[in-house]
Amino acid sequence: MADDMGQVPEVQAPATASGSKYAWPAERRVLGTEVRRVDGPAKARGAAKYTYDINRPGLLHGLILRSPHAHARVRSIDLSAAAAAPGVRATLVIAEPGAKVMYQGDEVAALAATSEDTARDALRAIKVDYEVLPHLATVEQAMRPEAPVVFEGGNTRTSDVQEEGDLEAGFAAATHVVEGLYSTQVQTHVCLETHGCVCEWDGDRLTAWVSTQAVHGTREGFAQSLGIPQSNVRVICEYMGGGFGSKFGPDAQGLACARLAKAANAPVKLMLDRKDEHLAGGNRPSAYARIRAGAAADGALTAFDAQTWGTGGAGQGAGFPLPYIYVFPNRRVVHTDVYTNAGPQRAMRAPGHPQGCFITEVLMDEIADRVRMDPVAFRLKNLPAEAPNAMWRRYFEMAAAQFGWSRRHATGDVTPGPIKRGFGCAANRWGGGGRGTRAQCEILPDGSVVMRSGTQDLGVGTKTLMAIITAETLGLPVDAVRVELGDSNYPFSGGSGGSTTAPSVSPAIRVTASKALEALAARIAPGLGVAPESIVARDGRVRSTASPSTSLTWREACQRLGTEPVSVDGEWEAGLSASGTSGVQMAEVEVDIETGITRVTRVLCVQDCGLIVNRMAAESQCLGGIIGGIGFALFEHRLLDPNTAQMVNPNMEWYLVPGLSDIPDIQVTLVDQPGRGVIGIGEPPAISTAAAVANAVANAIGARVRSLPITPDRVLAALRTDRAGGTE
Amino acid sequence: MNHPTPSSRLVYGAHCAHLRHKGMYVTSLEAADAAVADSYHATSYWCTCTQKALGPDGQPVAADRCHPGSGRACCAG
Repeated sequence: MADDMGQVPEVQAPATASGSKYAWPAERRVLGTEVRRVDGPAKARGAAKYTYDINRPGLLHGLILRSPHAHARVRSIDLSAAAAAPGVRATLVIAEPGAKVMYQGDEVAALAATSEDTARDALRAIKVDYEVLPHLATVEQAMRPEAPVVFEGGNTRTSDVQEEGDLEAGFAAATHVVEGLYSTQVQTHVCLETHGCVCEWDGDRLTAWVSTQAVHGTREGFAQSLGIPQSNVRVICEYMGGGFGSKFGPDAQGLACARLAKAANAPVKLMLDRKDEHLAGGNRPSAYARIRAGAAADGALTAFDAQTWGTGGAGQGAGFPLPYIYVFPNRRVVHTDVYTNAGPQRAMRAPGHPQGCFITEVLMDEIADRVRMDPVAFRLKNLPAEAPNAMWRRYFEMAAAQFGWSRRHATGDVTPGPIKRGFGCAANRWGGGGRGTRAQCEILPDGSVVMRSGTQDLGVGTKTLMAIITAETLGLPVDAVRVELGDSNYPFSGGSGGSTTAPSVSPAIRVTASKALEALAARIAPGLGVAPESIVARDGRVRSTASPSTSLTWREACQRLGTEPVSVDGEWEAGLSASGTSGVQMAEVEVDIETGITRVTRVLCVQDCGLIVNRMAAESQCLGGIIGGIGFALFEHRLLDPNTAQMVNPNMEWYLVPGLSDIPDIQVTLVDQPGRGVIGIGEPPAISTAAAVANAVANAIGARVRSLPITPDRVLAALRTDRAGGTE
Repeated sequence: MNHPTPSSRLVYGAHCAHLRHKGMYVTSLEAADAAVADSYHATSYWCTCTQKALGPDGQPVAADRCHPGSGRACCAG
């Protein structure tokens, strides 16, 4: 395969399951084309019902009282006034007297009332007496020797030393040595749809409409937490407004919602607001790395010695892969997790990778400057000789040609005027293999087709993906297929994480649709006087390859089913999907050295994802990832007051995300590799944008900003302290 | 509808039965895939008793904190 595709030797793409009768068709009619989302009109009209839109008869509104303190013990809690308030139907203590709260936003109590305003008024009537305890707002505070021990076992936890090669020999062989401190910030998920759910009991059976990335996993979570059989729980999520890794279970608010609904004997809606979301909905940990690295005169990397740390908030880890992608034959990394009194981290779009990518890629550019090599040539020299399914070498060359990398100037734009321009680049890797999904397909006598699976569509186009594959397999237009998903009563599918949804779901749909067609053929072939194996479906017709004159419209064929539809189950099959993606991005920026403001003007992305199912959706994933990466590079930053550990920007006014005017010209080149089957692409495009932007900024201004986000003050500070010649 | 479920990735073993992380719910192609399995310890954990990253005793939950030998009263073998 590598030779067929002209790939470099590092490619080790797996062979397709060519022996399967359900293998992807060699001649693809719909697959790989640009298909608009089948649920786009419903979303545009407002007909699509998200969790927030679910309004059951007699619905109550739930709210959670959260700790205003970063660290405190609950001495007492009195809900009597709240419980007696007009309209309040149920109250719940979450943090019992004696319990500690570990961060601002930690859940203390909850209640349900007849309206949101009533609930909010009643929430203010809850009396909590806190014993405020010492807190740790920053990694610096937590790492001080004299810091109070807030977390049992200590405020920090250092990993084993990861070491390979001979570090001393590596530095001895180095002609150039670079040292620096690099860091990335805490970024919150900022899901457009906040976390939350609607819970309704019917006796001992719970139905929960949840904004979740794991319909079946959330069913298991509710059952486990509530001590009821999983068969008594139904979780529904037909539409969802993003999760980015933060929505894998009922969460505290889900559990509170279910308990309030049970106590009130009425359905309850409990959705987080934007402040709750920032405080308690998860975040990407910070990352710090103090690195000393060496390279030989010819540009070959020789040594890498790093101390790293970061905070995942209250008791959660903050690891990241380092060094990222490139080969330092002699290396040592020691990582320390630092615990602070802040909302705990959760998985966020390629956990650890954006941090590791930024730190390594910025370091790579610094070394390239020392060696006086072009950054792309320097990277090509230091890529792994062999890596599974990694095609960085080819992609760097493709990207350089498309981007016009040859026009890159040396570090520091020497043109006159305050606006400096620069180019930067970075690479990424990811797994993206999934399995295990099951599906059910019905072909009905009137010709309609239903494909059903218990997966969920996070807003990325899974529903359209299922329609495309079904349509391709049955020879029908995409809009002839009805897709049903997002219900734990449907066949099992795993959670949507790790970019596993498309590679998990796609084979299941292909197999199930194929089996449905086989079942249809078996039913109608005798009446047509042909062998079932000769039946094919294409262009809305059903034909026999053995008898060219035997041809029915799809509807005519289905009418022969009489009153009994075709209904078959199918499941994921190996060989139709795979794991392992790689990609390269290049960015162009303009930096105003008078104001320090950076504007990303252009990003180019070369990315593979195996067989492309829907080119439009795959490109959309890249666009979203890159825009998120720009937010990470320039804007997003959870800011805590160092004195109180309270978040000072828990909103979308001061927690900045990219707006339309911040989105550059983005060029996406997807490398189609149908022989590999489907590979997930949700995560990889989000990994390398910030690193490419940071390197472009340094190329523009001749000074290096080693900390994200690259805010104007940091640009100006870098110019003051680290300015190269020729920028004035 | 009653559909069978693939073999569960909910691994109790040496850890508390209430401990959860994302990987338990994602049907990844390769459990050992470094990119997904968080071999660099970026995993976020939660407890099914609280559905939070803090257990019933108010302390953080994690693989190395939630096992029978941890001395936590809330730990279920």
